[in-house]
Amino acid sequence: MSIAQPVTKLAAGLRSKRHRGDDFAAAQELFHSRGWTDGLPVVPPTPPLVSACLEWALMPPEQLVGIEPVRQRPITAEKLAVNAVMAGCLPMHFPVVVAAFTAMLQEPFLLHGATASTGGSAILIVVNGPIRAELGMCGSFNALGPSDRATTVIGRAIRLVLLNLLDARPGEIDRSTLGHPGKISYCVAEDEEGSPWLPLAEERDVPPGASAVTVLAAGAPRQLMNEWTTAPEEILDTYASEIRASMRHYSIWPGNYAIVVPPQLRAHFERAGWSKADVREYLHRKARVRRSEWADCGKGSVVGDRGEREYAAFESPDEVLVVAAGGPAGGFGAVIPPWYGNKSRAVTMAIGACVDCEA
Amino acid sequence: MAIEFLDPTHESGAAAFAPAKRLATLKGATVGIVSNGKKGTKPFFDAFERELKERYGVARIVRTTKSNYSAPAEAEIMTEAERWQALVSGIGD
Repeated sequence: MSIAQPVTKLAAGLRSKRHRGDDFAAAQELFHSRGWTDGLPVVPPTPPLVSACLEWALMPPEQLVGIEPVRQRPITAEKLAVNAVMAGCLPMHFPVVVAAFTAMLQEPFLLHGATASTGGSAILIVVNGPIRAELGMCGSFNALGPSDRATTVIGRAIRLVLLNLLDARPGEIDRSTLGHPGKISYCVAEDEEGSPWLPLAEERDVPPGASAVTVLAAGAPRQLMNEWTTAPEEILDTYASEIRASMRHYSIWPGNYAIVVPPQLRAHFERAGWSKADVREYLHRKARVRRSEWADCGKGSVVGDRGEREYAAFESPDEVLVVAAGGPAGGFGAVIPPWYGNKSRAVTMAIGACVDCEA
Repeated sequence: MAIEFLDPTHESGAAAFAPAKRLATLKGATVGIVSNGKKGTKPFFDAFERELKERYGVARIVRTTKSNYSAPAEAEIMTEAERWQALVSGIGD
C-alpha cells in the first residue's frame, strides 16, 4: 500500500495542496498518520465534495471567514469546507459550520484560550431556527448525545477545524488535562416546536424566523433529576444546586451556564406560566455560593479571609442560557458549565450573516 | 481506485513566530517575568528571580501579571517588554 504523494497543481479555484491515495484505506492511513483526524475515519475531501459545500454556501474558496485573533491565522471558506467534508458534512450542513466558526472567531469567545487551556472545554453549538428541520436535526431523544446525522457531523467538523487549522491537537495547542467526550461532537438543536418558550437565539436578539447558532466553550453536561415535584421553584432549585456544585468543585467565577430542560420538566413550567425570562431571573437569584463553602470540599486553603463573600453564578439573568431539548419522558435535566467563567462568553450568530458587511 | 483529496491544514508557515535572537549573556540585563496570574507562579518566580540575579548576574527583574490566565498579555505589558533584554512567560498550574 502506498500513500499519498503531494500534487502541486491547482484547479477550479481550490488552492489547497492535493494529495493522492491508492484507495480509500490508504487515504485513511494518511489522515491518521499526519494527525489530521480525531481518531475516527474521515470522508476524503475530494475537490468535487469540497466545491459542492462552497457552492451551496455561495462562498468562493478564498473567502476570508475570519482571522484567529491571537495567532493571526486566516481562516478561509475552502479550509472550513475541507474539514467539514472530512467530518461527514453534506453541502447543506456547511453554512452551519461557517456560522459556528465565525461566532467562535469573535473576540469575546477567547478562542485560543478556550481551545488551549488545561481546563479542557469543548465547543457547544446550539442551533435554532428553520434550518433545524431542513437538516433533520432532532432536539428530542438523546439530544446531548448522537441524536441525528446533522448535529453529529456539524459538531465534529468544528473539532476537525480546530485540529487542522489551529493545531489544537492533544499535546500541541490543545493542552487539556482531561477534556471530555463533547470534544468529539457537541451540537444540539433546540426543540422549538415542543416548547412555548422563545428560542435561545431569539432571546439573544436574532430576529424571529432566522436560523442561528450559539457557541459556548463548555464543560461536560452534568445530568440532574427531579421527578418529585411540579413546582417550578423546586425544579430550579435542583438546577441551582447543580450549578453551585460546579462552582464549589470546579470554578467559582460567573459566566454563561447553559441549562437543558426536557419536556417532562418543561410541562411544569408551562402549566405555571413561567417563561425563560422567569427561569433566568430565578436562577440568577438562587445560584450563589459563599467562598467558605470551599472548605467543605477540600479547598479550605484558598478561602482566605473572604469566607463570607458571596459569589453569583451569573452577573445578570442574561447570562443564563436556557435550552429546550431532550426526549419526552424522564424528569432529567442538565447543567452545562462554562469553561472559565465569563473570560469566554457565549456568542450567537445568524446563519448566513456577514459580520463585516456594511448595513 | 486512486483518490485525490485536499490538504486540511492551514498550510501557512510559522514565520511570524520565529524565535527572538538569543542573548550571549544575561549579565547586566533587564529581564521581564510575565506571570499568567495563577497562585503557583509567585513562589516559583520568587525563586527564579533569585537564581537569575545570583547565578547569572541579571541586573534588574521586572515582574508583571496578565489579567486573564488564558488570554495574551495586555498591550501595555508588550510595550513595556520592548525595554527588556529578555522575557520569561510562565504558567502556574
